[in-house]
Amino acid sequence: MAYINTSAGDEAVVEIYNVSGASDTFDETAANVLTVPFMQDVTVNNSTGTFRFKTLDNGSESVVTTPATNQVSLNAIVDDSAFFGNAGGAGDVVQNGLFGTSNNKTKVGVRAYFDGTDSGSRYLEGVGYISGLAPTVNPDSPLWITPVTIEIDQELTSALVS
Amino acid sequence: MTIRSDLITQLTTNLAAHSGFRVSSELPFDSAGQPLYQKNMKTVYLTEEQKEVTEHVPLLTGEIMQTETVVTGYLVTDAKNQPSDIDTVTSNVLLARTAISSTFDSSSSVETEIEDDRITYTFEYNFLKV
Repeated sequence: MAYINTSAGDEAVVEIYNVSGASDTFDETAANVLTVPFMQDVTVNNSTGTFRFKTLDNGSESVVTTPATNQVSLNAIVDDSAFFGNAGGAGDVVQNGLFGTSNNKTKVGVRAYFDGTDSGSRYLEGVGYISGLAPTVNPDSPLWITPVTIEIDQELTSALVS
Repeated sequence: MTIRSDLITQLTTNLAAHSGFRVSSELPFDSAGQPLYQKNMKTVYLTEEQKEVTEHVPLLTGEIMQTETVVTGYLVTDAKNQPSDIDTVTSNVLLARTAISSTFDSSSSVETEIEDDRITYTFEYNFLKV
């Protein structure tokens, strides 16, 4: 038993990948991966749905599960290249940035690393669509901040960095 | 260019139309233990910048810092025979803060203190930059 400590050098990381093919294969080429910079928080949501029902022969409700809602959501300071894209970069996600990828409704892969990307670090991954961009700024803070949600299509799976 | 030097430039412009008022860039502004603004009335003196760097936004990987810069200014006039345009002068001294660019928040204030037959105006400028 050990808690996951996200102190310096082992911070949470979210990477967004291009995917291709019927099995949504991740493009692992480092230059094609968009690592979300300046994150303030990350939340991985694996919310299993439930349906409750009552029967005449039981004094308490019964419950069955329904499909889960899976999401990776975060808040980040808007970075010029990460948000608007880097035309000189490689791969659709890097070139189009968060906004372009969301606007184009491009399917992406996402990995949420719990304690960095070194060998042995744990992560959850899935494929889905970028959603929920809502950049905002106010006079008290001159930095644009945006929420980002990756709506996961079907399953999240866990793995260890090899 | 520093905030202090930009303020001096703007104060020079803002006070150009006010007869007898000027701005000094001198540092330090003490002579034999006496502040020069006590000796040279109607001259604005600015201190060196005081800076404090603090966290503006916490991030999962470190933080984004902000710098607060404080500059203090002094001006002395005759308390018994105040210049007729002293209200405009103090307003223009306070307004000089607007010349500082790249700040997301700035403020200026003035306090007065009368001693003997002199009135000392103490101006404080505050600037926040990311």
